[in-house]
Amino acid sequence: MEAREFGRVGIAVTVAEVNRQRRIEDRSRRQTWPAADVESILRYGAFVGSAIECHPVLDRAMERARTHIAAMEQGGRSVYNGTVILADRLERSKGRFDRTWHAPAGGLWGCLLHVNTLLPQSRNLISLAVGVACCEAVREMGIAAELRWVNDVLVGDRKVAGFLIESFFSPRYREEYNLIGFGININNRHFPHELQDTALSLAQALGRPLDISAFARLFLAKLSFALGLLYYEEEQGRYDDGGWEVEDHRLLRCWRELATTVGRRVVFGFNVMQAPQYQATVSGISGSGGLVMVLDDGHEKTEYSGEIRYV
Amino acid sequence: MANEIDFDEILSKYRSDPFDYVEVCATHTGTVSFRVGEGGAVEGPSGEWQQIPGTALYQITRERNPKLIAARTNGVVSEIRSELEGQFVEAGEKLMTIRHPLKKKEIIENILKEVLYLFRAPERAKYYFALDVQSRIEKKGARAVTIEAGEEVLTMSLMKRDTPIYYTGEGGVIHSVYFTPGVSVSQGEPLLGICAPEKLPLIQKIITRVKADWDSEQGFST
Repeated sequence: MEAREFGRVGIAVTVAEVNRQRRIEDRSRRQTWPAADVESILRYGAFVGSAIECHPVLDRAMERARTHIAAMEQGGRSVYNGTVILADRLERSKGRFDRTWHAPAGGLWGCLLHVNTLLPQSRNLISLAVGVACCEAVREMGIAAELRWVNDVLVGDRKVAGFLIESFFSPRYREEYNLIGFGININNRHFPHELQDTALSLAQALGRPLDISAFARLFLAKLSFALGLLYYEEEQGRYDDGGWEVEDHRLLRCWRELATTVGRRVVFGFNVMQAPQYQATVSGISGSGGLVMVLDDGHEKTEYSGEIRYV
Repeated sequence: MANEIDFDEILSKYRSDPFDYVEVCATHTGTVSFRVGEGGAVEGPSGEWQQIPGTALYQITRERNPKLIAARTNGVVSEIRSELEGQFVEAGEKLMTIRHPLKKKEIIENILKEVLYLFRAPERAKYYFALDVQSRIEKKGARAVTIEAGEEVLTMSLMKRDTPIYYTGEGGVIHSVYFTPGVSVSQGEPLLGICAPEKLPLIQKIITRVKADWDSEQGFST
């Protein structure tokens, strides 16, 4: 497939640059992972950034992704799996449920189009993979970031990134896509009143501004590895209908190394901001990525959907 | 969806046998060890968050990894395949049957399920109405909201991944909603019960008739 690039305004990331960053990632990973595994994993994840669009402003990156898929199909063309849509700012971005997402200039805002070729067991781990990639990239900047289930990237007790993953069925051919939306506070320093106590940018954490395009390349290379891991583990075949053997899946191992959730006292809710449900202590993560908690009466409960806040 | 309802036949069926017979099947391959016997009473999960597991029914061991499987409903073990004790079974192999006593509300729901088109959960996940459908329900009430095949009606949420669910079935009004937002629904369980608008009076007739019959009869569990 011929890689394609689009206009460069503001944020400037090219396919060639992402490929170069992937080679750096390859060398870096080989220091701690078997070389053959790294090669295989990154080959599986090489679709990330096969085409890159950079826009000065969009309403919503997810909406642009849907329009792009529909237009390509309408024109009788194929969508590049792994197309990345980036924008300097988003004007009508939103978070999960009906939450607003503040996306001014200075952040990394975008969406990855992933043609869903994963097994259902792996699909459940996409959210974790995105969090792992972002947390690793932030740590590589020298910032002590950590993960909170499912994929909140925290610095201290403040959130520096948010992700929104939506399935989308293309209008003409009904092909299933995972639209992986990401929003990472890089140099933006001003947050709306309701987010002032809970949000943080990397520049604030580091005390200096960062090169947004360089961070984007790093994040996409990390995402190549994390998503490539999902395919690689499918090839290893350590799964069944119930999920993965928890000790075996390397993405879950990566997640556990970055997360501070296990052992914490949390409040859980499907929409924890509006409707917190109960408090519990996290005892682990299941083979499907579910959160295993022990309630106050000593009984264990595993949740596969919802959110937590630390108490 | 049935057009004609033989009330007498349906009511007679539930009057003579007011139970559901729930088949319990192996969750995956493995060696089975039963924890209950025929005639034993079992309880379903309980607690405010359903965190207290039901009665342990059997243990299934695969690759030295034992898993205890608990009852999902209350009742009595009416049949058990005791010849499978200690044997290796395939996923889906029937292991026992639980006879679950039906309450009045459950019987009405069961009858309605026979006349409504049931739209079932594609995966074990949490579900909520698509924004457009939710806003129509808030304005008019579910039973005034009509949905058509191909319409995005629900959002399935699993591991922070939201998937639009398109309705596939006969168009009609949303008569019954079987899920609660924020509560997991198992794969295959009904999410919505749909009926054609002109059949709403028939549905109401069923409910009225069953309730009236109940009030005049003493032979049902309530």
